[in-house]
Amino acid sequence: MIDTKHRIVFNSENCVGCQLCYKACFVDVIRWDEEKKQPIFKYVEDCEHCFWCEVLCKKNCIKVIPDFESERLLQTFDRYL
Amino acid sequence: MDTYERENLSADVLIIGGGIAGLAAAISVKEINPDLDILIVEKQTAGYSGKACRGGGVLQYFDFQKIKPEQFVEYHVHNIGCYLGDQDLLFKYVSMNNHMLDKLVEWGAKLPKRADGSYAVIPTGPMTAMIGVDLDITIKLRRTAEKMGVRFLDKVAVSDLLTTDNRIAGATGYSILDGTFYTFNAKSVILATGSQNYRIGPMWGSGRGDGIAAAYRAGAKMRNPEFGNFAQLVRVKSHREVVFGENYMYNKLGEHITKNFRSGPEPDISSTAIAEWFMQMSMAKGPIVLKLEERGGNSIYTIWDRPYMAPFWELNNQWADKADGDDWEVCPLFIGEQSPVKVGHDMQTTIPGLYAIGDTSYCGSALAGAVPAPPGRNRGSGILNAVFSGMMCAQSAADNASNTSLPPVDKNQVEECFTSAFAPLWRDSGCGAKDVIRYIQKAVGPMERSVYMSDHRIATAMKYVEKAKELSVSMKANDFHDLLACHEANAMVLSAEMQFRAAEMRTESRGWFLREDYPEMDNKNWLKWIIVRKDGDTMKLGTEDVPYEKWPVKPQI
Repeated sequence: MIDTKHRIVFNSENCVGCQLCYKACFVDVIRWDEEKKQPIFKYVEDCEHCFWCEVLCKKNCIKVIPDFESERLLQTFDRYL
Repeated sequence: MDTYERENLSADVLIIGGGIAGLAAAISVKEINPDLDILIVEKQTAGYSGKACRGGGVLQYFDFQKIKPEQFVEYHVHNIGCYLGDQDLLFKYVSMNNHMLDKLVEWGAKLPKRADGSYAVIPTGPMTAMIGVDLDITIKLRRTAEKMGVRFLDKVAVSDLLTTDNRIAGATGYSILDGTFYTFNAKSVILATGSQNYRIGPMWGSGRGDGIAAAYRAGAKMRNPEFGNFAQLVRVKSHREVVFGENYMYNKLGEHITKNFRSGPEPDISSTAIAEWFMQMSMAKGPIVLKLEERGGNSIYTIWDRPYMAPFWELNNQWADKADGDDWEVCPLFIGEQSPVKVGHDMQTTIPGLYAIGDTSYCGSALAGAVPAPPGRNRGSGILNAVFSGMMCAQSAADNASNTSLPPVDKNQVEECFTSAFAPLWRDSGCGAKDVIRYIQKAVGPMERSVYMSDHRIATAMKYVEKAKELSVSMKANDFHDLLACHEANAMVLSAEMQFRAAEMRTESRGWFLREDYPEMDNKNWLKWIIVRKDGDTMKLGTEDVPYEKWPVKPQI
């Protein structure tokens, strides 16, 4: 998927710096801020809404909000372009 | 030219890719020879990357009390592989099924069981079944590998392979975090980088063909690239896959259109379901909807207790249900699963010392014949093929590493790899990687170009590929994340070209491969594999005869 408009909401106050969200991201959306010991959601436009960062966060700091309409089905009939 | 940090690393066995295949291979090599030094390089985080940890969580299962491996092979050759498969390799895969499950449990994977201690099995077809596995399988295997002494290097993308005297000598790559350029020197190199999925399907997005492209550039032969065209029915609002939904397709006239392409139970989705969808839509009989009440609801996996993945599916389903509501309209979504690196039974490529496993070489191994990489019309064969090929390569990779010395690395070759890998960073201007990928997606995405094909429609697809190819030489990267996208875009251009040129060549329909203009299977002319290789700057296509005479299940000619 490219050019998606999924959003990620991060509540930094409760983050304990476990890095699980950073490790779980398989498309390099999340980078790690070594100084703050917190994730940086740097490339959100590449998010594939797999939800693993949200699922693995034990402190419920992350909320992924998918925008399905921004994902393309790529079929040539008008309704699926 | 900017300066970058450089690091040289060596290992007896270098494994590129830290998904299930790479981890299974690492553990298997260590089991054979614990003294071998093994390094896994992964462009994201090993144990969390690849597909095995990302969705389905199913393993193919054979009940040997009820069927014998040779019976499944016979069924598969006639109905799925359609005489293009290597029957000896498939027989080995089936025979090792129970052993592989035991190994996975030994390595830490959790397989749900019933109260009586037996595996919780779900039948999926006339001879097939599957059992669940929790999605922390790859994390468990990483921990097992770490305990055995396997080293890991995460967030490093391998861009090219190094050869010396036509043997593998290592690889080059760079950190996607800070751009450190790595030169790896190794005796055996195992490619476990997944398939090519062109960044279209959600959850399938980890396979971007970079390993396939590196092998091609290094001179390795490819086989069966035209079978990289898997597609799946998805709900049109959430794009959620509906596994086995093809059995319940209805058009807007209320006709059960599954009957048009399927007369009895089949193991999984077929390209004929995709073609039927396309024809119904073309006749203005769409949209196509599913009536799943006939099978008793949407989920078939509720019998499995998989605590690690439960919240993952709960969240996915919540969002998808919210988007879909009661709307069961479906359309196909291109997945891809091109896996063409040609290997023998020990998973060795045509470059000595270089192995390719898992979804990098599923079609290239010819294990399954005329069908794309897992699921390959066999749900649960993805993880097990990864384990199988990881185990199959281990002895040869270990022997090679034990019996040879580290090959010398050609410094000029390293510099060429460095210059070519970082070129998009040094351009003053150019297009973005996504500009290239958009054209590739236009080529492969529409079902009539990639799945229900014809000469004319393949030619249309090739025009988009040519446009992407033209743009790709001027890609500009702004940082290392972008640089990786450029390399992946290059791999997509290469994969798409292989796919369509081979598809144009195969003038028949066979298994998953379906052409409107050549609807019949042609055993007289096409019991052949299409072989692709790099010849200078040219892509050469040729064929090899399938040696069906030596195998027990014979085609009618």
